[in-house]
Amino acid sequence: MSERAIGFQYATIAQQREASTLGMWAFLATEVLFFGALIAAYLNYRIWFGEEFIAAASLTKVALGTANTAVLLTSSACMAMAVTTFDAGSKRAPIMWLAATAALGLLFVAIKATEWWLEYQEQLVPALNFDLARHGGVAEIFFIFYFCATGLHALHLLIGIGIVTWLAVGIGRGRIEPAGSTTRLVGLYWHFVDIVWIFLFPLIYLAGRTT
Amino acid sequence: MSAATIWRCWAALMLLLAATTASAFVPLGSFNIVVSLAIAIIKALIVLLVFMELRASKGLVRAFAAAGFFWLLIMIVLTGADYWHRTDARAPIDRFES
Repeated sequence: MSERAIGFQYATIAQQREASTLGMWAFLATEVLFFGALIAAYLNYRIWFGEEFIAAASLTKVALGTANTAVLLTSSACMAMAVTTFDAGSKRAPIMWLAATAALGLLFVAIKATEWWLEYQEQLVPALNFDLARHGGVAEIFFIFYFCATGLHALHLLIGIGIVTWLAVGIGRGRIEPAGSTTRLVGLYWHFVDIVWIFLFPLIYLAGRTT
Repeated sequence: MSAATIWRCWAALMLLLAATTASAFVPLGSFNIVVSLAIAIIKALIVLLVFMELRASKGLVRAFAAAGFFWLLIMIVLTGADYWHRTDARAPIDRFES
C-alpha cells in the first residue's frame, strides 16, 4: 500500500517541503552545537597545551584519515545523485545511488575501525590500555577527544547508513514517492555528517605533521 | 542540482582534500591550522550550498542553517575570551600536570 506523499496537516506539497526542510535544519542546528562543543574543547586544549597536544595529534594515521575523507565526500556526491535522479522520476537510479552511499558509509566505518585497532595496539586508548609512561598525559587528553569525536561521528554515520537503507527499500516498494520530502531530508542529514568530518579531519589528522 | 554540477563539486572537493593534506606537510608554523581550516570552510560551503541546496533555498531556511553556526561562533569566542587569556588565575582544570 502506498503512503500518501503529502501529510494531512499540509495544504500543498510545496508547503510540506518548506516546513519539513525548516524542521530538519532546526535539528541540524542542534547537531552543530553538539559537535561544536567538542571542537571548542579541542581548541581550548590545543591553546593550553600547545606543542605537546599537537605532537599527540601526529600519532593518528594521516593516510587512512585522508582516504576516509575521500570516501565520505564521494558518498555525499552519491547521496546528491540519489536526490537528483529521484526528482527526475527514476526509481532504479536512486536505489543504486543510495546503495552506493550506504556502501561507502560502511567502508568509512571499516577504515575507522582499522585505525582504532591500530591505536589499540599502540596502547593509545584511554581507559582501556593507554600507556601514560610512553605517550604522556597531554596525549591522553588528545586521545580522549579523538575517541569521543570519531566515536560519536561513527555513531551518526551508522544511524545514517540505517536510514539510507530504509529509504532505498522504501523507494523499491513504492512507499516513498518523489513528490514527498523524505529523500531530501535524509540527504540533508547525510551531508551534515559529512560536514562534521570536514572539520574534524584537519583538527585530528593534519596537526603536527611538520615537526 | 544537475549531475554535472554534482560531479564538478566532487572534483573540487577532491582537489581541496589533496591540497589540505599536502599543506599540512609544509612548515608554516601556526599558519598550518589557518590554511587547513580555511580549506575546510570552503569544502563545507560547497556541501552546504550545492549538495544541501542552500543556494536555491528561501531566506528563512538559510537563516536556520546559519543560526547553528552563528551560535557555535558565540560559544567558541566567549569561551576563548576567558580561557585563552588566563595567565595567573587558573581554573582547576588548568592545573593538570603532564
